[in-house]
Amino acid sequence: MIYRETGHFVTNYLKDREIFPMTFDKVVALIGLLWLFLWVPTTSEYFLSAHVIPILAVGLATVGLNILTGLTGQLSLGTAGFMCVGAFGTYNLMLRVPDYLMSLPVALLMSGIFAGLVGVVFGLPAIRIKGFYLLVSTLAAQYFVWWFFNSYAWFLNYESSGVVAIAPKFYDYWGLGNFLGVDMQGYPARYLLALVVCIGLSYFAKNLLRSNTGRNFMSVRDRDIAASVMGISVPRAKLLAFFISCFYCGVAGGIYSFLYIGNVDLMIYEVDRSFTILFMLIIGGLGSISGSWLGAIFVYEFPIVFTWVGDFIFQGAFNTAVVENVSNMVYGVFIIALLIREPGGFAALWATTKQKLRMWPYPH
Amino acid sequence: MSDILKVENVTLQFGGVKAITDISFNVKEGEICAVIGPNGAGKSSMLNVINGVYLPQVGTVTYNGVTRRTINPRDAAIAGMARTFQNIALFQGMTVLENIMTGRNLFMKSTWLEQGLNIGRAREEERSNRLAVEKVIKFLQIESIRKTPVAKLPYGLQKRVELGRALVAEPKILLLDEPMAGMNLEEKADMSCFILEINKEQGITTVMIEHDMGVVMDISDHVVVLDYGKKIGDGSPTEVMANQDVIDAYLGVSH
Amino acid sequence: MDWVYLIEVLVGGLLSGVMYSLVAIGFVLIYKSSGIFNFAQGTMLLFASLTFVKMTENGIGFWTALFIAAGIMVIFGVATERFVIRPLANQNLLALFMATVGLATFQEGFSQFIWDSDVHGLQMNKFLDIGLLDPNPIFMSDHIPWLDILIPQFDIFASLVAGLMIVVLAFFFQKTKTGLSLRAVSDDHMAAMAVGIPLQTVWAVVWAVTGIIALVSGLLWAERVSVSFTLIEAVMKALPVILIGGLTSIPGAIVGGLVIGVGEKLGEIYLADVFGGQGIELWFAYFMALMFLVVRPQGMFGEKLIERV
Repeated sequence: MIYRETGHFVTNYLKDREIFPMTFDKVVALIGLLWLFLWVPTTSEYFLSAHVIPILAVGLATVGLNILTGLTGQLSLGTAGFMCVGAFGTYNLMLRVPDYLMSLPVALLMSGIFAGLVGVVFGLPAIRIKGFYLLVSTLAAQYFVWWFFNSYAWFLNYESSGVVAIAPKFYDYWGLGNFLGVDMQGYPARYLLALVVCIGLSYFAKNLLRSNTGRNFMSVRDRDIAASVMGISVPRAKLLAFFISCFYCGVAGGIYSFLYIGNVDLMIYEVDRSFTILFMLIIGGLGSISGSWLGAIFVYEFPIVFTWVGDFIFQGAFNTAVVENVSNMVYGVFIIALLIREPGGFAALWATTKQKLRMWPYPH
Repeated sequence: MSDILKVENVTLQFGGVKAITDISFNVKEGEICAVIGPNGAGKSSMLNVINGVYLPQVGTVTYNGVTRRTINPRDAAIAGMARTFQNIALFQGMTVLENIMTGRNLFMKSTWLEQGLNIGRAREEERSNRLAVEKVIKFLQIESIRKTPVAKLPYGLQKRVELGRALVAEPKILLLDEPMAGMNLEEKADMSCFILEINKEQGITTVMIEHDMGVVMDISDHVVVLDYGKKIGDGSPTEVMANQDVIDAYLGVSH
Repeated sequence: MDWVYLIEVLVGGLLSGVMYSLVAIGFVLIYKSSGIFNFAQGTMLLFASLTFVKMTENGIGFWTALFIAAGIMVIFGVATERFVIRPLANQNLLALFMATVGLATFQEGFSQFIWDSDVHGLQMNKFLDIGLLDPNPIFMSDHIPWLDILIPQFDIFASLVAGLMIVVLAFFFQKTKTGLSLRAVSDDHMAAMAVGIPLQTVWAVVWAVTGIIALVSGLLWAERVSVSFTLIEAVMKALPVILIGGLTSIPGAIVGGLVIGVGEKLGEIYLADVFGGQGIELWFAYFMALMFLVVRPQGMFGEKLIERV
């Protein structure tokens, strides 16, 4: 056996809270990380654009929802609304701020902050309203935001079709592409930007989860009265969770529109998408960052794989309606089955598998 | 010694039901004060008034020389009150270590940005506060369950973890709501030792609700007896034992 | 401002509020008896009405189709209790809510998978010769000369059905043995179990009854908006209604529905200009509910929780 946990001793408290405590894990993670950057030349633009970049976008939104719902216990159905703020924010920052001041990464960050602030506004009722009653606030956010951008055509630069394509000049990055001789609008470049953002924000979320802020969030989720008796400010924790969560969703919206589909389209941010992201969260496992990514991959890829199976094995027997309906049924079954058998979702399944492998071949 | 806590004329109502009627008592700095009484006597409500979970309609609580009618639980924590709950209010989704670490939240000064980036103050705080937590873990002899989710622990150990969570906050006064309920003799003996040691070694004033009269008589310096929301006895354990009202409340009166 | 017009708006609002209440009652029934916030209510409506409409399209008569659809809903309700609710009995409420989200997704896929995803019209007056199903409105001035308003006849029919359903439910709750156990369970699960009430049977009954309510409200909604995916969206509108009403109270569901119905109409007329755009009914109900809940977090008739520690 190469992989052994025996003989690994923690010698100080900082080492005890490392994400990858073992040298072997560290090496594997590092190689994996490097590979995510270096594999680009070996893959196709199609694979990046149809599979990888959209998963990065929705996965990031799932991580965001996880901070609010999984960590802090505040139920939200407004995810797509906050993504919408991010997408429209990015677009308008790029469109209206002079080019020499604005570049896509900056615009993503700023519109993320903006989405976070919108989140705080709709999170304010959470100070008084608890549990399911809070659904009304996040749904209000979802519908209001959607209506708002639909009603005020200024935000879409008066584009009558309701969809605005993103101009190539927005991918200029202050001339970085010309300087490096790289097509920054191409999918490899888009992928790398999305990847850097997602890795950075996942690392941030992971740190937050094991820090005082994360513990405060979880204490509000588990027992808010006890939390306040410990001296934790429950309103502050809730609003901070709303801010950080919606920041993530906002950035995810920007990535979805700018780095994936290449246009800003209101239809993408309807309430259905909020549900899809909720499915990703539940299936992946509440409270786990890696689980959010697993959930996103599963929910996004299932219809694609199912269509592919239909095409190759049954000669295109499944039309889009069948694929959609079967996907919905499968999500439903997975959600219910996981809640019954393993409420921690894919993340917990992964942990149990690891535990079993550790015992293998002597399970007792 | 001076009084650290003075409860004066407190009355608490839920709708039309009076949970506490006009209760006053003092707690001296450094003592173990036991609040006893039959079920429904208003003992837990009393603790809840002291640290601000319930807001009394009448009366004041003077703590550390500051007199107030109501206090916010968070402010009470900042002022050095820590407590445990009758029905264990641990954070069920977290491990023992995480639970006890939440007790240190008032010592954490780094911002969430620093914590998210895991830099500077945030790292140092995690380390130094973990040190303080480990001391308490060692004191309570729960080293082996450090990383266990609290939901998986038996009742007695959960009570111990909850005491640990209150203790790491380095409180001036500790409010314990039935710390030994549902424990067997051995566990009770352990818990009594912990409470005595906390009180004698660290000098933390303790207000404790307890049903086990043996324990109360052994470890407390001062006993307050409640019955039907009213105070019927107040004094040293021996005085209270001799009090006719207390005997009546516990043994019943023949008519 | 014409006050007759105001009356017309109010009456219209009340009548459409009835439609919301109808859906809300189903929510309340399940929440009250088991503490589950049943997100699958909307898809139950879709499944029920789609089943019904596909049968009538295939030549089955109205009453037969209604009967069979009701039977299928009962089976579905019992199966839901058996395979979803019972295995999750000891989980927290968030998990149960998520399970109903899963159930909703499954049902949405399932009903459109076995039937189809087309938009079906439902003309009940093809089957039922009731004057009130006439799409033409009543001119009130024909009856009361000074009251010059229009009232859609179908809305009156819907209100009558809703009223009848509430009476039947009230009878069921107050006068039958099952109803009594239901009330006991909604008061306290543990105590009810201790006195020998079979919890699982009661829950199965609740889900079955909810299925039938879903069928009735589904048909009424479908008459208005057609049988299709839009039914699920219509039901999202019932969420603010039950939240205003307070989740646990059937009168709350009714009053909440009326408040939202009237408020929405008034908002559309008086506030649309303020917001410089049409279509504020998309979010206005949620805002009303939000304002209401900020003032009274447990809803209108909801039980105020004293949190014991």
